[in-house]
Amino acid sequence: MLKYLKEEGPMGDRLPMILCPGCGSGQVLNAAFHAIDKIIEEDGIAKENFVFITGVGCSARLTSHYLNFDSGWTIHGRTLPIATGALLANPELRIIVITGDGDTGAIGGNHFIHACRRNIDLTILCINNGLYGMTGGQVAPTTGIGLKTSTTPYGNTEESFDLSKMAETAGATYVARWTTAHPRQTVRAIMKGVRKKGTAFIEIMSQCPVHWKETPVDMLKALKKNSVRLKGDEAVPNGKIPIGEFCNIEKPEWIESYQKVIDQFN
Amino acid sequence: MSLQLSAHFYWLTGKLMNKLHIHPKYCKGCQICVEMCPKQALKPSDKMNAKGYLLPVEDDMSRCNACRECEILCPDFAIAIETDDE
Repeated sequence: MLKYLKEEGPMGDRLPMILCPGCGSGQVLNAAFHAIDKIIEEDGIAKENFVFITGVGCSARLTSHYLNFDSGWTIHGRTLPIATGALLANPELRIIVITGDGDTGAIGGNHFIHACRRNIDLTILCINNGLYGMTGGQVAPTTGIGLKTSTTPYGNTEESFDLSKMAETAGATYVARWTTAHPRQTVRAIMKGVRKKGTAFIEIMSQCPVHWKETPVDMLKALKKNSVRLKGDEAVPNGKIPIGEFCNIEKPEWIESYQKVIDQFN
Repeated sequence: MSLQLSAHFYWLTGKLMNKLHIHPKYCKGCQICVEMCPKQALKPSDKMNAKGYLLPVEDDMSRCNACRECEILCPDFAIAIETDDE
């Protein structure tokens, strides 16, 4: 997949990436490349039609330096408004928004809800590692109850956000959650999301080995052990992460509906 | 040993053994590929790259069935498997 990365740049060598050893963000980018590679091969969509947009955080480092695609490194939490603008300017684009949990769930929460509500043709990949990685491992809205971070040394007492359920409730047409220990399922979900006409939200539970103070391998194994596949309406045991497809529905896409209104006056 | 093994593999299957390529400049030694390989075809080593990260090496590539799980799992795009028919 090195063909999708820029190895040399005006500032000298760009690779290896700036991320810590064993970071889940690199794995998500790798999965996205595999999905895009298959889509370019199977659907015949040109590489120029793909645009990556990120906000601020560790996840933003993925597009800022290395990509051989068109990409935008934008404002904290405001990835979705900028992606909406890019899509309105050229509805042919396939926009992939890579955000972190702080970007989507905390500062950009409102933008996230309303992008899902409008049902814009975006693919949102949310890398959820459960804390604010770039600023030093502080507690985030997605941190589980009882977990120790650098600002909650005696355990977190707040309830956490379930971003996938929020996206489903807000009206996204494709919602799935996987972990970095499920690479093939993630690739398949990203392919479905890019092909879906409407908002696709794919949450990827990821590891932050530096701030959770474990080795990447232990964290991957724990993610695999603690996740349970969704089966119909079966209840998920307490403390486990439900993974799988949350919803896959058909709804009118906003830009198409808007174009119909414009066409009435032409 | 490795030459003998690959000769034996060729005799058994009629194919060349899959080749492992590690990019020493990109690898950060997180050992995800070693531990997550379903066939345990890789092992950690004492070989260091320029930044001091320990690179993985092949343990027994005759076990590798080119599932490419390591390629998708690598966060740093540092590993690739080359098969006979490529």
